Amino acid sequence: MIGLEGATVRFGSRIIIEALSFSVPVGRTLAILGPNGRGKTTTLKAMLGFQQLDAGRRVAPDIVGYVPQTGTSNQRYRALDVVVMGRAAHLGIFGQPGPEDFRIARSALERAGAARFTDHYFDRLSGGERQLVLLARAIATGSQVLVLDEPAAALDLHNQERLLTLLNTLRHPRDKAIVFTTHDPNHALSSADDALLMMPDGQPPLFGPVAETITPEHLESLYGVPMRVVELAGPSGETHRAVLPAFAGIRAA
Amino acid sequence: MAALTEDEAAPMVRSHLARQALVFAALLALFAVAFVVSLCVGRFSVPASRALELIWLGVTDPWRELTTIEERIVLLVRAPRVVLAALAGAGLALSGAALQGVFRNPLVSPDILGISQGAAFGGALGIMLGIWGFPLIAMVFISGMAAVILVGLIARVNGRSETITVILSGLVVSSMFSAVVSLLQFVADPNTSLPAIVYWLMGSFATATWERTLIAAPGLIIGGVLLWMLRFRLNILSLDEAEAQSLGARTNRERWLVFGLIAVIVGSQVAVSGIIGWIGIVIPHASRLLVGHDHRALLPASVVLGAGFMVIIDTLARTATAAEIPLGVITALVGAPIFAMLLRNHYRERNGS
Amino acid sequence: MRRPSDQVGILSKIFPETKDIPSDVTAPNFVPNIEALTATNPDLVIQWGGRGNDIVAPITNAGLNAMLILYGTEQLTRDYMTMTSKAIGKPERIKELVEWRDRVQKDIEAKAKAIPQDKKPTTLYIARALTEIATTGTKGSYNAWYMELVGGRNASAELNGTVTINKEQIAQWDPEIIFLNAFEARLNVDWVYNDPILSLTKAARNKRVYKMPLGGYRWDPPNQESPLAWMWTANVTQPDVFKYDLRAEMKTAYKTLYNYDITDADIDGILWMKEQSGSANYAQFKAK
Repeated sequence: MIGLEGATVRFGSRIIIEALSFSVPVGRTLAILGPNGRGKTTTLKAMLGFQQLDAGRRVAPDIVGYVPQTGTSNQRYRALDVVVMGRAAHLGIFGQPGPEDFRIARSALERAGAARFTDHYFDRLSGGERQLVLLARAIATGSQVLVLDEPAAALDLHNQERLLTLLNTLRHPRDKAIVFTTHDPNHALSSADDALLMMPDGQPPLFGPVAETITPEHLESLYGVPMRVVELAGPSGETHRAVLPAFAGIRAA
Repeated sequence: MAALTEDEAAPMVRSHLARQALVFAALLALFAVAFVVSLCVGRFSVPASRALELIWLGVTDPWRELTTIEERIVLLVRAPRVVLAALAGAGLALSGAALQGVFRNPLVSPDILGISQGAAFGGALGIMLGIWGFPLIAMVFISGMAAVILVGLIARVNGRSETITVILSGLVVSSMFSAVVSLLQFVADPNTSLPAIVYWLMGSFATATWERTLIAAPGLIIGGVLLWMLRFRLNILSLDEAEAQSLGARTNRERWLVFGLIAVIVGSQVAVSGIIGWIGIVIPHASRLLVGHDHRALLPASVVLGAGFMVIIDTLARTATAAEIPLGVITALVGAPIFAMLLRNHYRERNGS
Repeated sequence: MRRPSDQVGILSKIFPETKDIPSDVTAPNFVPNIEALTATNPDLVIQWGGRGNDIVAPITNAGLNAMLILYGTEQLTRDYMTMTSKAIGKPERIKELVEWRDRVQKDIEAKAKAIPQDKKPTTLYIARALTEIATTGTKGSYNAWYMELVGGRNASAELNGTVTINKEQIAQWDPEIIFLNAFEARLNVDWVYNDPILSLTKAARNKRVYKMPLGGYRWDPPNQESPLAWMWTANVTQPDVFKYDLRAEMKTAYKTLYNYDITDADIDGILWMKEQSGSANYAQFKAK
């Protein structure tokens, strides 16, 4: 489980987040939604413990599987060696990864769908490929919590689809608490159980199940763009919800 | 699917390991040859076969009394000098590799933390006060550590120190200490302590004895072994701050542990052989090209290559002419072009990919 | 704060006021500190010549009288001594000093001429020993000049200027005589005798290791007492050829130079009799 309790972060006199509380238990997935500059990243950093809180506290395990947006690439490591770094917390400062750690790393690469990159140099991979490797590293930490920073930001539509599928694969066994940030409410609809909406103008963020939080009214005030939620029939007859923005003032039918 | 991936990956892993093994074998062979050849050559002519015989005797019966000039030249002059050069080269290269890792910047060298200049200050002050031998070495070592601690105090803002602050603080402390060294040179006796300070600042193994080697060895070896034990941790510390922390590293504290170990290594080296440039930057770079960036391979490769390179450079310094050539001159003459070549290859490869 | 040297030698006994001569009027690179210099109100400033105008102009610009001297050879030494005697208004004093130098030099040259080349020992002058070992080539070296004058051969002739060398190189040269500089206060002949390498050189095995005396100035570089330095060097280098009565010569010279009656104890101190009485051919210098 990971979350914040009454967390406040100020930069000087500017309040970034105020008295923010939410929690993500194991088995659920949270999407943090909002445009840039609303404190998505600050919230993420606060959850990970990288951001000092001016008030409130952080609830998190010692090690959180963190998937940064890009990852350090000025060093040339093999993907496998990047993933095995996930074992660091178990090895201690003078420890060296052994065969068991490499086994875990290989299986994490497989789980993240990145096994084919095992012996490739990390810095030679594309942005999307690196993200899969970093996800494998987060899995290899063995943490029950995964936190992904804008996992879809750099991906084209095809790769967004693959990523969301992968997130759902990870979510499906219900053995992890997963948090990701995104601009796109459709990502929340597709792959999250709960959503945290970073509302504008000092309004408190909205936290709750996707069905209650992803509504046209909330989204309109969240993004300042009129929104429609439509229902689409899936291939096997089930309904999917999707969000459409109404650009140029035209309200979608 | 999983099985297929395994099959595909296996030959690549094997070729990676085979390549690493080959590179290490070549590096070790280079070092061994440099070491033995260095013991066999010098201004005093000892036939190579006799030198080899003496080395063998020295290894098998180290406490034998040495009476002939040949024995003493090989075992009391050359041997400690070659061993000290190897240890110093290994230590400097290792420190450079580790430092470049934690700073995530391939252009930093041990000088950046102010260690060398701090140590130089201690040495210059010691020479001026007429202190010799072990107390001088202790003074050098302590002032080198003091410089690092000073950098730490300046760079530490709100309980943590940013990389850039550390580099800038290092520069500040370095300039401060080098100014004080200049001041000491200004007031030093031009007949006695001034040439001594100047010579010592240039770096040399010419005065190596077993005693001096044994004084420097503990710091170099203990610091080196601890850094080597940190090799996997250095991979973690080479990542962005947030990533490293998320993997469980207490980056600030661990980085200072690395700095402290480097101060022990560089302080010990400067104490007995003065300031030697270039090794800490050229050798890790060359090693990276040979074995990659993973510190588990990079550190041992830097150690072996640094030791071999330093032995070769010092052998040139003491044999090329009747006069000792200052080490700094050769390391710069050899190091700078190699470095330029490495840089070009590095970026050509980068741009080409 | 900076003193001209670690040791002041006998000069401070003859002229106690020399100890108080301020030496902070220049930086190590001989750039004058004009304010400090002017404050001493000098009648004459003696500065190095041949080192560019930058270290001279400030002196003349300040309205002080400057005399430039060149250094390094016997002729230059005589020239600047002559200039100095004129400058301080005692030109009559210099004649006998230059004549003395000339007389001694010619006497040594004449006696040394007969020495066959194979009877000339190789000699090594150690200019610095304690932090690094430095010695000097023959070209432009005053030390090499008088070592060869007295019938020695400079062991380190192949060098160019004063440079750092290692012990292995000394072993290779294997000099028959080693002269240690008088600049390093802590340096004495034990430095050679206790060294595993140097103690095996011919010089050490034959006890022919000598530290240069420290008289009114160190005897290694050119100075007012140089003829004494040559005679001392001659007596230890070619003991069969040169038999100067150094003590008598010193007594005369010190009277002439400083109007000082040097005692036997003074001479013992200058010649390091206590430290190196065990060296070969050194008993000749003992007080009778």
